[in-house]
Amino acid sequence: MNSNRLVNRISRRDFLKLAGAGAASVALANFLASCAPKSDGGTLNVLVPAAPDPAPPGVGQFSLDAFEQWKKNNGFEVTYEAPPWPQLHDKMAANFASGQYVHDIIYMSGWVPEFADYLIDFADELPADIIADLPPSSFSTLTWGGKRLGVIFTLSLLTMFYNKEMLDGIGVKEAPKTWDELKGVAKELTGGGKYGWVLNYGAPEGIGGVASYWMCFLQQAGGKLYDDKGQPSFNNAAGVDSLQCMVDLMEFTDPGSLSYVGINDATNVFAAGQAAMMMNWPFMWKPANDPATSKVVGKVNAAVLPAGPAGTASIDGTDAYTITSLSPNPEGARKLIEFYLDAEVQKRQVLDTGWLPIRLSVLNDPEVQAAAPNAAVVLEQAKNPYDSYVTPDYNAVTTAIGVEIQKALAGTQSAADSIKNASDQVIEIVKKRG
Amino acid sequence: MQTTNEYNRKRYRLGLWFVAPAVFVLLIVLAYPIFASLVLSFLRVRFAGQGLSFEFNGLNNYADLFRKDLFREALFRSVYYTVIEVVSVILLALLVALMLNHPLGRSAFYRVVLLVPWALAPVANAVLWKWIYNANYGILNQALRGLGAIEENIIWLGKPWLALNMILVADIWKAVPFIALLILAGLQNIPSYLYKAARLDGANAWQQFVHITLPGIKTTFVISIVLQSIWALKVFDLIYVLTKGSPADSTVLLNYLSWRETFSNLDIGYGAAIANVLFALMLMLALVYIRALRPRQTQAQGG
Amino acid sequence: MPIIQRFLTRFFIRFGLITFTLLALGPVIWAVVTSLLPLSSLTSHPIDLNPANVTVENYFLVFASSRGLVSGLINSLIIATFTSAVGLVIGSMAAYALARLNMPNSSRILMMILATQMFPGIVIVIPLFLVMSRTGLVDTHFGLIIVYLSFILPIVIWILKGFFESVPMELERAAAVDGASPFQTFRYIVLPISLPPLFATGVFAFIEAWNEFFFAIILTRIHVKTASIAIAEFSGQYQTLYGQMLASAVLASIPVVALAIIFRRFILEGFVEGAIKA
Repeated sequence: MNSNRLVNRISRRDFLKLAGAGAASVALANFLASCAPKSDGGTLNVLVPAAPDPAPPGVGQFSLDAFEQWKKNNGFEVTYEAPPWPQLHDKMAANFASGQYVHDIIYMSGWVPEFADYLIDFADELPADIIADLPPSSFSTLTWGGKRLGVIFTLSLLTMFYNKEMLDGIGVKEAPKTWDELKGVAKELTGGGKYGWVLNYGAPEGIGGVASYWMCFLQQAGGKLYDDKGQPSFNNAAGVDSLQCMVDLMEFTDPGSLSYVGINDATNVFAAGQAAMMMNWPFMWKPANDPATSKVVGKVNAAVLPAGPAGTASIDGTDAYTITSLSPNPEGARKLIEFYLDAEVQKRQVLDTGWLPIRLSVLNDPEVQAAAPNAAVVLEQAKNPYDSYVTPDYNAVTTAIGVEIQKALAGTQSAADSIKNASDQVIEIVKKRG
Repeated sequence: MQTTNEYNRKRYRLGLWFVAPAVFVLLIVLAYPIFASLVLSFLRVRFAGQGLSFEFNGLNNYADLFRKDLFREALFRSVYYTVIEVVSVILLALLVALMLNHPLGRSAFYRVVLLVPWALAPVANAVLWKWIYNANYGILNQALRGLGAIEENIIWLGKPWLALNMILVADIWKAVPFIALLILAGLQNIPSYLYKAARLDGANAWQQFVHITLPGIKTTFVISIVLQSIWALKVFDLIYVLTKGSPADSTVLLNYLSWRETFSNLDIGYGAAIANVLFALMLMLALVYIRALRPRQTQAQGG
Repeated sequence: MPIIQRFLTRFFIRFGLITFTLLALGPVIWAVVTSLLPLSSLTSHPIDLNPANVTVENYFLVFASSRGLVSGLINSLIIATFTSAVGLVIGSMAAYALARLNMPNSSRILMMILATQMFPGIVIVIPLFLVMSRTGLVDTHFGLIIVYLSFILPIVIWILKGFFESVPMELERAAAVDGASPFQTFRYIVLPISLPPLFATGVFAFIEAWNEFFFAIILTRIHVKTASIAIAEFSGQYQTLYGQMLASAVLASIPVVALAIIFRRFILEGFVEGAIKA
């Protein structure tokens, strides 16, 4: 008995020792913080998505020789980290949370306000000829607290894509120009397993989620997500009408749209010739004309989005490069971004990968317009509003709105109720932002 | 007597050395993160330009949690999901194991077949099911239409309960093999003389199953239930790929909600609070498990 | 009558085995088909399964592209091998101690070990990442191995403890009488007759470490990208390359299935002993 009790006591003491060792190792970990990896100044660390999502030379397969040459001329090594796009935001969050230098340049899509405190304002230092060659409005989603925290590298606005052959089949020669025409054409094209319209309404949040799609319709109806004081201002006729238009369209929409999480699911339906029209990003032009992925090669056309009461409008995909505030070499990082924006690189970007350039001179290049006939359409679309309303809590806002929109599209709630509920939730979120 | 004591002390000392490395690994890797996740749930965490900033938030994260309908729904759905998954996986795995234990099913072929779904990388598995379920061109709808079983495409992932159940199907498909393997092992470990004796006593197949087979695999059952419950409550990647919580948040389960708050909305404290509720659920389950095992141990010691 | 009953039983079991095989392999076969056909055939109505369209282009593209599936497979091999090997050594030691070496409170220790698995990875990963990035362990094989060890150890310990408890006490007593130390008993008596469950838990650990994704994506950057990450890279925001993704998934599954085939005897026998007598 005695020895047994002794055994018990020893065991507790020993386990305390073990726990102490664990605590000591954590303390050691903190001590080692000072030994964290540092850049030697000669290497630029760049975080971008894996291709075929929008990626720079070296990850995307274009301008590879020019890239090698640039590195040699400027004496930099460039290390790419290119995780799958859906994991980019997670990785960024973990990196920023660590408070340590990891990357010099980071690709962003709608996340600039969210991470604004970690980024630097470098747009003013870009060469004047580059700035003059960019659409001024391209900075709007990258501006937070009065600072321009990045630069867009691909003009990526939603436009209309349609199947010429299917529209011809019902005697329609041009893309629908108004909401009513859109609904009319979609109605006629629906039947026999084919649908007038397809889109991915499955994911509520972020750019490319259902809430962001509704923002196109909202602006077409003349509405705005926020008023001048930053308070939600969409619980009105424009908000309800825009959603009602999407609801009306549901009857002629591939019902699978409610379940498609990524645009890719919807693109496949369109490219199989099963749906006549959709909104999509300019990138779509290339895969839709590739026989390996598409049955509608040569039958695709693009047009500006149909106009609501206030005209046409779109949203911005905001694919941008930013520089982190912990970068030991912001100069070098900026130079690399200038290389990405070089006219020749921008041209190869669209010709080899299908992602449009952002520089107006390249967009208007005849060779570019021949290879990407939708470039002119996107430029036309860009003359109209295309605000994506990004904020630091963009994910929370778009999740709240998106879920309410999904209820209306599924027919379980009226458009007016959805808009009211969404507005109430966004008011809460904005209040929490403080 | 003395030598026995000395020997026992040696064994005890060796025991400490033997347990130490594993406990050390668990402590060094998990002690701080687990401690942090408990603490974070009482903080308001912000992304503040140089790492994170922390602010004491009391019980507000938990209070917020229980005020929100979405959390209560996610909690309910997580419980539903776990119950259905555990029951289905255990029953199917038992069925598979019984068949593979039958002389007709004893070939190596079936044993390898059993392992194939388990070996497929979960990332690819999730995308594969998304591809199969696609409402328009997915093989499931096309096959059912080809067979004349349906006329219109079914939107597998577009209706609230249906979507959740389709996620369950994919998850069950992936989870059955490992549990079946465990149960199969349990079946093979039952001494065959027990069956012989029962047959001599005139027991029919059903009586043999109830009085010999089931008691023989009871321990395996309990281990399987606990492990499978933990894994079911942690389901994340299937939801992330298949539905992102849609339609209208109807496939948001607790772990997905925790991810959304932590990584998408960057509300780390709130996400940690959700995770801790999840932990409490699992711990409760495990305590039930201990209770289920206890009578057996007492019996064994008594006998 | 018994003959009819016997016939019916056999009929149902055969039917059940065929159903089981179809259900288990169906989705995997569809993955293979998808990897061998162009997307435009697969999205057609009805699906165009014309064998003339079969192409291995996806497999070529997987290797040709710069995504690093090959280095991913090598990294996964290193990580999964070390994880399962080290996990077996220290897991079996702990399991033996908890089963046989008079550890006080062994059931409480076991419970605490299992409890470490109850914290969702999503909330663990950020603090873990902070510690690892400060110690320079992010994007190293060692970092990922030690993290995976912490995931598989509890399960290895639970399974092996069950087995060690079923080793007849008489064997160990006899060894003690012959003058063997407790360590010698473990090393020369218990381990050799435990090879099957050691293999079995080893395969379990190997598969878990081979396939893990969420921690791998956060805790690695460039040098230690695993096979799972290479596979996931085909699934993007704007386009998912289903064919290439499933081609690489099929390729990445081959080593695991081969392992399962090689060790299938051990897997089954292993769990026989290990899972039951807990």
